Amino acid sequence: MASMDIRVGDTARAVSPAALQRSGSQTILAVLTGLAALASFAIIFLMLFFLIAYAYPAIRFNGIEFFTSGIWNIGNQYGSGTMTRNGFSAQPGASFGALVFIFGTLLTGALTMVVAVPLSLMVALSLVYTVPKRLRPIANALVELMAGVPSVVYGLWGMVVLVPWIGEKLAPWVTAHLGFVPFLGGSAGSGNGLAASVFILSLMVIPIMVATTRDVMLAQSNSLFEASMALGSTSWQAMTRAVLPSVRSGVVASVLLAFGRALGETMAVLMVCGAAINSYPENIFSPVNTIAAVIVSQLESALTDASGMAQRSLAELACALFVITLIINVVARGIMRGADRREGRAA
Amino acid sequence: MIVTNPDQTSASTAATKLEARDLNIYYGKFHAIKNANLSVPQNCVMALIGPSGCGKSTFIRALNRMHDLTPDARVEGSVLLDGENIYAGGIDPVTIRHRIGMVFQRPNPFPKTIFENVVYGPKIHGERNKKKLLEICEKSLRGAALWDEVKDRLDRSALDLSGGQQQRLCIARCLAVDPEVILMDEPASALDPIATSKVEDLIDELKKEYTVVIVTHSMQQAARISDFTTFFLMGELIETGTTSSIFTKPKDKRTEDYITGRYG
Repeated sequence: MASMDIRVGDTARAVSPAALQRSGSQTILAVLTGLAALASFAIIFLMLFFLIAYAYPAIRFNGIEFFTSGIWNIGNQYGSGTMTRNGFSAQPGASFGALVFIFGTLLTGALTMVVAVPLSLMVALSLVYTVPKRLRPIANALVELMAGVPSVVYGLWGMVVLVPWIGEKLAPWVTAHLGFVPFLGGSAGSGNGLAASVFILSLMVIPIMVATTRDVMLAQSNSLFEASMALGSTSWQAMTRAVLPSVRSGVVASVLLAFGRALGETMAVLMVCGAAINSYPENIFSPVNTIAAVIVSQLESALTDASGMAQRSLAELACALFVITLIINVVARGIMRGADRREGRAA
Repeated sequence: MIVTNPDQTSASTAATKLEARDLNIYYGKFHAIKNANLSVPQNCVMALIGPSGCGKSTFIRALNRMHDLTPDARVEGSVLLDGENIYAGGIDPVTIRHRIGMVFQRPNPFPKTIFENVVYGPKIHGERNKKKLLEICEKSLRGAALWDEVKDRLDRSALDLSGGQQQRLCIARCLAVDPEVILMDEPASALDPIATSKVEDLIDELKKEYTVVIVTHSMQQAARISDFTTFFLMGELIETGTTSSIFTKPKDKRTEDYITGRYG
């Protein structure tokens, strides 16, 4: 009997620490992964919170004018007195209308997509189906290399090569010969502007789109390509009717990812966009400005604003960019979920 | 026609539908098929058997020029469809694949509705009339013994079907373009036994209207469904003949070794 007791006790002692240890390490793991998951939400939330808190005086001061006015003026530094609205004050004559920049951001982003999406799809399809196997590693390496070039390098190339070429050759020719087409006529400008921005942005987003859509195609559709070819389709029909519809959600995702990148791209755009203030583009060669670029280009003068309202208005611009990209992401997810449901995949 | 057996004389009176002559296939420097000669009579089922990697799939893909899609594959020799070389200059591989359909190892329906899957081929070849397309759809699905199971849900996604149904849908999709020859590359290898037996019954029906060439990993399957059997080993076509002669009186020692289970 006594020996039985000892054996039971031994077993209990032998088992329970291991069990404890396991449940203990699992708890720690659960807490750590939970914290990590929470951190990503918390970081986004806190960034937005502090940005809004910092921009709050500007939000009150600017009101709806922020979205309806295209005049950005930090006011007269040497003027007397201050200008006060809703309890917040700025330098006399100040006006912080962001419409030029919001418009410029969406316009450059949208035009970039118009140029880049068809090109990227063509490149991705050819990399997957038509480029000879020997050349594929080289072509793929070039795409990845392009994606890895820092944006300031694209910007510098744009400044010293692209902009002079547009200003001296392309724009004068186009405005002279194709001026009757809307948005192609009028002033040829210096080369800095919408066309240069769209060109540079396209160079930057095409590799991203090519790489992501190529991977989606490689992952799922060689069998669909072959199925279509075996039914007597041409390779163009196989690509457009069998492969592309099957990767639609992946393509939409990659397009929106690239769109987000184009909206937020700062340095390269700043270097070629012409930094328009208070003017809307008249044609595709006109100077433009984007939210991201104007935050950098206006920062220095904003720091001279003793009232601080100019800096806070730049923060409000940052909030606007944040919200725009957030909306695009939400829309992208909605589209992808809808596409998944239609194609019968689990959402 | 390679007559390897006197039993075959009755079958050899049937016209030759498809014929490979001196066919050599290379992947880069690798010589995958070595000088293969084969005749497939009309309205028969020809089974291609052999161990994994022997070249039977490589061979069947040459019969409708699918190797054109593989960048480093090279095909030499000729394949005659009704006596006409499909590799001759000026022949459009697209029209060849219209006449010689193919069903693949894994069911590969498009992520579209059942209806859109079946009429994909006819639509590509220019058929726009909705009523005509519905007729083709029904006829093809009946031909693939799938109509009764799906007639009430033609507008549902093909991906909701079971694996066996998906494979029969792929067969229906192939029938919809009204081919003369159907090539099948291990069509039942990804299916369960019940689905497999349905596909096998179907193949027996198909030969009334079509000529069928089928790659199979299973000798039992070849014995059950085919009229003729061809044995491949390491890129060589070893022996071809009626299925009964190959399985009962193989001429070549290697064929005998394979069918008695001496290689993989």
